[in-house]
Amino acid sequence: MKKLHDAHGATGIPDEKGEGHFHTKSDLPVPVGSDLFRADAYGKVTGRERYAADEYPAGLVYAGVVRSPHPHARILAIDTTGALACPGVIAVLTGGDIRGTNRTGLPEMDQPVLADTKVRFTGDPVVLVVAEDRELLRQAMAAVKVTYEPLPAVFDPDSALAKGAPVLHENRKEGNLLFSGVIAKGDADFAFSECAAVREGIFSLPRQEHAYLETETGVAKVDGDGVLEMIVSTQSPFRDSREIAAALGIPPEKVRVIAPYLGGAFGGKDGITVQGHLGLAALHSGGRPVKIWNSREESFVSSTKRHPGRVSLKLGCTKDGTLHALSCRLIFDTGAYAGLGGPVAVYGMGHAAGVYRVAHSRVEGMNVYTNNPPSGAFRGFGIPQVIAALEQVVDMLAESIGMDPLEFRLKNAIRVGDETGLGIRMSNSADIVTCLEKARDHPLWTGRDEWIRQAPDYKRRGVGIATGVLGIGYGPVIPDIASAKLELLTDGRFRIYAGVADMGQGNNSANIHIAGDVLCQSPDRFELVQPDTFRCLNSSSSAASRTTYSYGNALILAAGVLKERILDKVAQLHPLFRRENLILVPGAVRHTPDGSDIALHTIAEAMQEADRVATATWTAPVNRQQLAVAPDVKMYGFPHLAYTFTTHLTRVEIDEITGAVAVDAYLAWTDAGRIMNPHVYEQQIQGGVIQGMGYALWEDFRVTEGAVVTKNLSTYILPTSMDVPDILSVPVETYEESGPFGMKGVGEIGIVAALPCIANAVAGAIGFRVCDAPLTPERILTALRRAA
Amino acid sequence: MSEVALPASLEEVYAIRKREPGAAVLAGGTDLLVRMRADGKKPPVLIGLERIPGLSGIAIQDGVVRIGPMVTHQNLLDSPVIRKHLAVMHEAAQVLGSPPVRHMGTIGGNICTASPAGDLLPALYVLDAEVEISSPAKKRVVPIATFITGPGRTILTGQEILTGIRIPVPDPGYQGFYRKVGQRRALAISIVSMAALLMVSPDKTVRSARFAWGSVGPVVMRFPDVESSFAGRTFGPALLADVGRQYSERIRPISDIRASASYRKMVAAGLPLKILEQ
Repeated sequence: MKKLHDAHGATGIPDEKGEGHFHTKSDLPVPVGSDLFRADAYGKVTGRERYAADEYPAGLVYAGVVRSPHPHARILAIDTTGALACPGVIAVLTGGDIRGTNRTGLPEMDQPVLADTKVRFTGDPVVLVVAEDRELLRQAMAAVKVTYEPLPAVFDPDSALAKGAPVLHENRKEGNLLFSGVIAKGDADFAFSECAAVREGIFSLPRQEHAYLETETGVAKVDGDGVLEMIVSTQSPFRDSREIAAALGIPPEKVRVIAPYLGGAFGGKDGITVQGHLGLAALHSGGRPVKIWNSREESFVSSTKRHPGRVSLKLGCTKDGTLHALSCRLIFDTGAYAGLGGPVAVYGMGHAAGVYRVAHSRVEGMNVYTNNPPSGAFRGFGIPQVIAALEQVVDMLAESIGMDPLEFRLKNAIRVGDETGLGIRMSNSADIVTCLEKARDHPLWTGRDEWIRQAPDYKRRGVGIATGVLGIGYGPVIPDIASAKLELLTDGRFRIYAGVADMGQGNNSANIHIAGDVLCQSPDRFELVQPDTFRCLNSSSSAASRTTYSYGNALILAAGVLKERILDKVAQLHPLFRRENLILVPGAVRHTPDGSDIALHTIAEAMQEADRVATATWTAPVNRQQLAVAPDVKMYGFPHLAYTFTTHLTRVEIDEITGAVAVDAYLAWTDAGRIMNPHVYEQQIQGGVIQGMGYALWEDFRVTEGAVVTKNLSTYILPTSMDVPDILSVPVETYEESGPFGMKGVGEIGIVAALPCIANAVAGAIGFRVCDAPLTPERILTALRRAA
Repeated sequence: MSEVALPASLEEVYAIRKREPGAAVLAGGTDLLVRMRADGKKPPVLIGLERIPGLSGIAIQDGVVRIGPMVTHQNLLDSPVIRKHLAVMHEAAQVLGSPPVRHMGTIGGNICTASPAGDLLPALYVLDAEVEISSPAKKRVVPIATFITGPGRTILTGQEILTGIRIPVPDPGYQGFYRKVGQRRALAISIVSMAALLMVSPDKTVRSARFAWGSVGPVVMRFPDVESSFAGRTFGPALLADVGRQYSERIRPISDIRASASYRKMVAAGLPLKILEQ
């Protein structure tokens, strides 16, 4: 692995205001494509970077949410008198105190800020209490009395769809069915009869908790101008500001959301977490700032999870190993509220053919309301569930026709110009073939039989592969727009107004890299403003592997505009200089014939303020193929235009005594376009793979009768550094014409193939498949004993 | 907030506890602080014992290792005495918690918490450890198995406090092993754990074998009748598999959030074989 100290630059020291002023020892421009030390690294490791959780403004008060103890119940009465009588109480608020729609959510606005008539999951917010300090808050919350009439509840999608099942949202004509849709090509039913071999599997996928270090948190206050200002840990500040305004009944221009660096999010902060409660509390705190910071336990209860579900997948091929027919049926549990359940289901469906050409296919997807905790966005967004099923069945089918699983994949893998199993024409960069070929030639693959033979006593070994694919951006309907803003400061440095939140992936540091490359400036000449709906331009959410892809494109445009203005200004100031003889160099514009430099601060002082600020908007191109799908399937994101690809390989060793799976080695070959920053790229792959390993082997967020069983990090098992091996990331570079500098987003592709890769290795080791993930030691050992 | 007292002598501890019967003794805090947060109950006073001379330190004298209750798990790991004479305890400390937990948690805390999953406990049981209990009135010494009476329960009453651990150094012919199965490789609470002391002749005849099991019953379990049945048999996989089978039938594990009872029995059946893994 590359060492970080090999990277350019060394330290990025934030200034006293924490404004993100960035220094580095490197006073040379760092071209895109080479390592640039992350601008946020120094401030984070020294504790000087301020997250939303670090905000303690003067006069702070605290807010907390009284939550439902029932999975489904009607609220008969709320008695706040006891709480109001408690010392230090500032406000006790219910749904009745909300002037707006009291609903948040996207695309379905179905989640109340505070329950009005009933509660739909154990943990549903009912009463908001504001108090002087956390201890007084706790006492007052305990004094709130809510009388419930418990209602019958449903805890799995099948029961929720059964006739006569209790309905969560009475206004929906589809009952508990949030979404259902179909993607089909040809005649899959008939095509199976033409296959030489057909295999099928039914896979159960668990809930996964994001488990970000920084639990949901923020501070808010209403200022003298009546503006509700909020500093909050969020991936979607601009969307939040509109949702908060509508839900609480305040004009959108009176809501300001600031999103500092997040202490992790992974999709779990894509939308409203504490924002509605914070805003409501601030509207009732007499102008004092209010803080909410969820405990880990409250985070577990209240935050969304990766959709649990069941994927049934059938795949058939002809005698020569050509994939011919695919059918896939997925059913997800979206919990009590829609969240992003519709899009998550469609993203899953839209990737059900993986990286393969298949002549005929039929993919059906459903997402269903239950009285479980809400599901939502999580790195991979429905795709890891579906790839988990597909890539295991691909292995099963290869075995059935006696083909090597890697050659089988290679034979059916798409190339540029091909039509995928779902009818998507691969018009953009796509190089899964090289990923597979590199895996095929790797010693860990060619030498696998020998390694397996050398298994010690009481151990079994297996080597697995899997491929994955992930579309970037929002799909063909929802506009993916980013607007960059860049300012030349009067001291000759530059300020980038980030439009997309940085949840830890390094996208705002990448902004310095991009603008520095275009403007030929060293990283130390830039400062960053984190997303602020009053200062930055709406560039949508930090999601869908589109952060640097979209904002980067906009920033290239804005930097180009500013560059022209700077050079124009110099040509104006120096009539003897010819415009084409001027170039930007670090800190100056150089007149190339005589090498004379005009300092940037001199130029900046001569420019009008409006001239020093450049903005540019970029709209992502979309796939304009007309595929026969329902409008909602299209709107929720099918098909995509540009995709990332990956092939994973792993060696595992299974302990016959305990059933534990030890991951001995892990490699990932990835096509995410051109690499902008090798070490940040590697971090994304490694982080994705490790989160995928957790999904495959340990992480099992358990809910019984709607109540969380794994209540904390002692019982929800995340992998530690002792549990994961070194992960080798090998980029397979392509040039993506729609991406900035040819890149594609790399934030999610790492997670999609980990579960099936490990499951394939495990199946090879033990000779059969465990179809319920995660593959915990207890599941493996129980299956081994049963098989014996 | 609780008041935190850092007395310099046992007498001061007794005085504080007399004044505040609800005071809690803090011997590291890796369990107590977690429990306080979970229960939302704060004792009026937390009595930290780290400044009391005599409650720390590891010494060997007359064939007995004396360990102060405030010795941390990291102290155990760093101690040449433990490594040389009580290898089973060294191995147990290696797999206990994580580096921060090992630097904070103490042997006395591990004993008084009396969790059947406590990683030092099977080692202490298999070593026939005794504990010293002090009170203003008297001092008494009892075997570890007498001290712990159930999950989270000990014989400590009133003003009594654990003030020392005494471990007879086993015959140098013994080899010690600690094998633990958790849900992951670090920061893992034991699902099944086993401490073993084995004395095997050069001809592979077992002369003596002792086993103590954690997380498979309300307290750490030893069965003298089973242990005595191994003497005279030939050491090897067949014997260890038989050891596992016998204990698997005798233990009485429960199902909890970490594992089912049946999984614990399956694992116990194979765990002695892990003695062969180095």
